[in-house]
Amino acid sequence: MAKERSLRIAHLYPELLNLYGDSGNMLVLRKRLEWRQMACHVDEVHVGQLPSLAHADIVFVGGGSDREQRIVCDSLQSARTELAAFVEDGGVLVAVCGGYQLLGHSYTMGDEEVKGLSLVDLYTTRGSPRLVGNVVVKSRISSQPIVGYENHGGRTHLGAGVEPLGKVLGGYGNNGESGEEGCLYKNVLGTYVHGPLLPKNPGVADWILSRALERKYGDAELEPLDDTEELAANQYCAELYTQH
Amino acid sequence: MRNALSVATGKAARWVLHSVLGRSASQVPGRVTLAVDPLAVAHQSARLKRGSIVVCGTNGKTTTTNLVAAALEEGGAHVACNRDGANMLAGVTTALLDADRADWAVLEVDELSCARVLPQLQPTYLLLLNLFRDQLDRAGEIDHVQDTIVGALLLSPGTTLVVCADDPLAQGVAERVREAGMHVVTFGMAEDLGLPPDRVPEGRFCQSCGAELSYEWHAYAQLGKYACPHCSFARPPLDFEGSNVHIDMGQVFLSIARHGGKAHTLHMQHGGTYMAYNLLAVASVASLAGVRASTLQRAVDKYHPHNGRLQRFDMGGREVVLNLAKNPAGLNQNISMLLNDSRPKALLVVVNDEPNDGRDVSWIWDVDFERLAGEEGICLVLAGGHRANDVQVRLKYAGIRAQTVGSVGEAVDAAADLPQETPLYALVNYSALAPARAELERLEAHNG
Repeated sequence: MAKERSLRIAHLYPELLNLYGDSGNMLVLRKRLEWRQMACHVDEVHVGQLPSLAHADIVFVGGGSDREQRIVCDSLQSARTELAAFVEDGGVLVAVCGGYQLLGHSYTMGDEEVKGLSLVDLYTTRGSPRLVGNVVVKSRISSQPIVGYENHGGRTHLGAGVEPLGKVLGGYGNNGESGEEGCLYKNVLGTYVHGPLLPKNPGVADWILSRALERKYGDAELEPLDDTEELAANQYCAELYTQH
Repeated sequence: MRNALSVATGKAARWVLHSVLGRSASQVPGRVTLAVDPLAVAHQSARLKRGSIVVCGTNGKTTTTNLVAAALEEGGAHVACNRDGANMLAGVTTALLDADRADWAVLEVDELSCARVLPQLQPTYLLLLNLFRDQLDRAGEIDHVQDTIVGALLLSPGTTLVVCADDPLAQGVAERVREAGMHVVTFGMAEDLGLPPDRVPEGRFCQSCGAELSYEWHAYAQLGKYACPHCSFARPPLDFEGSNVHIDMGQVFLSIARHGGKAHTLHMQHGGTYMAYNLLAVASVASLAGVRASTLQRAVDKYHPHNGRLQRFDMGGREVVLNLAKNPAGLNQNISMLLNDSRPKALLVVVNDEPNDGRDVSWIWDVDFERLAGEEGICLVLAGGHRANDVQVRLKYAGIRAQTVGSVGEAVDAAADLPQETPLYALVNYSALAPARAELERLEAHNG
């Protein structure tokens, strides 16, 4: 009999960063723990508060409009040291769209360069047109292709030592040129894929959970779930690019 | 000269399409007209005897447009109108082909198309219903939609903005054009409607300083009586206000009064909170255009939509209710309506991802399907459309097991084992609406 396991998620600024169905990502992590008889606590960090990461197993940052992202970035600068320590200690951090851009050294808003959190060696410039559409990515962390939707003006460039989340099979990815999408650094996952990210990508959801369980309990094992519906939705999207 | 030629060409195209080919003629005649005269909207607008009314906002445009046109017609006016909801420049131009015979034009205009339509049309009134998150991939964030409407209005400075002041996002637009000296008329509810709260995915922050708004009451989504705790942004005084609101499944009653004036009761045989707001919007702009309350009531009584908005079908004794639901606010409103119906029922949710639906279906995760979980009265849930699999996964995580179906006909078949008094609600998004309606009409004729 395995001992009782549970995870704690810090969801940063859900009222600001909630553009692309991000609440769905939280729901999927919670359900996939509960379906395995594990508890999940979500601590919402609101505007004006700073995240307390001492007990967090997973930190989630979603996407917002430029205006909202700016508020968050300013607010998070004072928590940079704590976030960096969390990341270097193997804490799991998942960042989508705008949240992904915040991870880097800088990003461009209008004509202005905004300082990022420098948690991962990457930076984002602005390009035209926006990169919009369905996206399919092959990644080592998931046995299915990662599928979803992307909609970003930013062009993200990874530093030399940063692994991409995967290779773009269809769509644009980080900058429309490198053929790469997202980033993986220690247990940090950054991506432009939303739709939201996790429901149709159970492999990614379980990778996140197992990394967090490994760090907390030294045991990454997850009981398999019946993912018939999730995999059907995944396959439908993956085939959007293979059918002609 | 150019105007006469362009209009003649457009009318000829409309006649060929409609009478010769039997096809829909809502777009092409307008495109043809614009090719000959790019300023056709301005030229036709000048021929209207009384003026024009533009209806804009995320949800409720088509219903409101049709009701405003019906009210003016009931009062004896001739009206040019894009009744079928062709709401971009070409559709508006097609509707205006009849401007020479019209007193009024009542035009539904897509939020982003305002930028092209308003400077030419110079409408008498712009009725702004609400702003919700919708089609992020096409329309962008709400900030952008607001900027577009403000920019368009500033190029039509003689227009009076008639705004739903209960929506802080619409009111944000009103504040900006009022500061620029434009005339604004507000409408809203005088009282708490006492409805259970639904999700507020946006519009929670002050349009002026960014602080979180505080609410005396919520009507639905971000609509309600709000005030900013840090600055002067607040729901303003109302020029037209609704009170004594009674809403149930099948009908809406409300009293509508112009500031300080006599209240008139309006009644409609269609339910839903959004219908109460639509009626208030219609009554406000109709009153400004000189329609009497009794005339409006007659127009409302005669209004029976055949456009798939809350359209009811008799499927061999089983009621099928078809409604458009194309974004979180719309679907959340439909869920409220469904929960108000005490009968056991079946539900079909159809989501397509055509360009005019928005290719990005992430919005389904902002819908409160959780409110349906554990409802014993909901005996069958079905998912349809191109993205049926996405809907099925969304419902699974809300705790609802759904089957996928390939068409609304298959959904009717899937409900065949349920008792006949169990209605089927078919909530479908934009591009799925016309095919679903056609299929249901065919099945109804076949069953009847």
